[in-house]
Amino acid sequence: MGAIPATAQSLEDLNIQIHGYATEGFLYTTQNNIFTASSSNGSPEWTEAVVNVSAQPISKLRVGVQARYFLLGNFGDAITLDWAAADYKFNDKFGVRFGKVKTPSGLFNETQDIDPSYMWSLLPQSIYPITSRNSLLAHYGGVAYGTVNLQRAGKLEYRGWSGEREIEGNDGYWVSFAEEGITLPSGTSGVEAGGALHWKTPVAGLMLGSSLARFNSFSAPLVDTYVVPAGPSKGITITTPGTFAVSHESVPNFFGRYDKNKLMFAAEYTRQAGSLTLMGVSPVPDQFNLRGWYGMGSYKITDKFSAGLYDSQYFDKSSPLGPSRYSKDWAISGRYDFNQYLYAKAEEHIIDGTAIGYDANLNPGGLKPNTKLAILKMGVSF
Amino acid sequence: MKKLLYAFLIAMSASIFIVQAKAQVIVIANNSVKASDVSKNDLKDVFTGASTSLGGGSVVPILLKAGSAHEEFLQAYIGKNDTAYRAGWRSLVFSGQATMPKSVDGDAAVVEFVAHNAGAIGYIGKASPHDGVKVLTVK
Repeated sequence: MGAIPATAQSLEDLNIQIHGYATEGFLYTTQNNIFTASSSNGSPEWTEAVVNVSAQPISKLRVGVQARYFLLGNFGDAITLDWAAADYKFNDKFGVRFGKVKTPSGLFNETQDIDPSYMWSLLPQSIYPITSRNSLLAHYGGVAYGTVNLQRAGKLEYRGWSGEREIEGNDGYWVSFAEEGITLPSGTSGVEAGGALHWKTPVAGLMLGSSLARFNSFSAPLVDTYVVPAGPSKGITITTPGTFAVSHESVPNFFGRYDKNKLMFAAEYTRQAGSLTLMGVSPVPDQFNLRGWYGMGSYKITDKFSAGLYDSQYFDKSSPLGPSRYSKDWAISGRYDFNQYLYAKAEEHIIDGTAIGYDANLNPGGLKPNTKLAILKMGVSF
Repeated sequence: MKKLLYAFLIAMSASIFIVQAKAQVIVIANNSVKASDVSKNDLKDVFTGASTSLGGGSVVPILLKAGSAHEEFLQAYIGKNDTAYRAGWRSLVFSGQATMPKSVDGDAAVVEFVAHNAGAIGYIGKASPHDGVKVLTVK
């Protein structure tokens, strides 16, 4: 019997905590089906559940692991490892984190999956595409972080990271390839390094920041599948192996946030440019030149109810002129917190352009240039 | 004009009440904490997970689960209600950046924890007994 209190005391000393959240979303679109869900008929195919276990055996050391079930249309429907890391914080000026760690790029990358922490149902897709979220969230490697007190000039938070980024075989990036019969069975991966600065200015609530991620060239085996449509060989499947390669690139983000009392404003800009080659299929490099930005604002109307608005825009400058070149998304959103555990969200999007979120298989009649998207979501967290 | 005057008087009374309410919370710390005072910004950083040190030493915040002292503390020094405040902590927890601070029931439990844990810092109602801990002046 004496061992039981001793064990309980040990667990208490480890400060083991279990947290989690779950959300269920409902999508309805007026025109195109979005995110590979049958949303024009109304779709409940957006479910997430997260479990987080952490321990803090000593004040400077934390270890934790987080697993996620994610389903959105045809994406996910699997349990994946969000992150699993050990964090040693020497002091406020310097700490390190190792393992599979959240990548601290941009304004929201580290928290883009944490639905209970923000009021939007869907973050601006121009910078935080939900169909690629699992690949962008975390990397295998480390993060160094800290805060430098600038006295009257405010505080400067820094983060530096490096490691290996994996882009899964079922990531949203590959949807257009898959429609042409090209798949990357094991996805791709490559080395990434980056840094971010967040300046908490002397103006109360105002933060300005920037991050830069540097990707080495990525490559991976691909399979080009072709089904003969006619003739004596009709129906025969021909597969051709090849190699996918994307050039090295640097992705900068510039952002700012003002958050004081009941008011929040934020804005962010990013660009991404480079080339990719499908060796064995099309040896000619395909250029991409992407720009994304958004501006958002929200207001806490009561203790339980918040409302907000954002404009998110995305341009693929290498695409031909037309709706496939851009996506302009106006969103109006509301969130109601029933208590500290349970909340509901409602959001309406007016989307002009087809550059983000659509696939051809679920839109066999072709994409319409405009779509309205309504989202209802319930969430619980503990 | 009388209505305007009444409205003004009511507003003034309310503001006096709020000022008095803020003064009803005190910040306490374990005797190992070197600082004897704390700025509002540093206090906010400690209780929002942005900082784990005060006066050159490590500190560990402890929260009240609910109650008037908790609400007054959040309003006076954090600028958020309980739901928004805990959502901020959850954001840190789910992104692997922090561990949720302990929450306890009642001022006596806060005093007990703070008195017996090096670096602990908490808040209680001004009228609650707080033997064995130091009171930090909020500047």
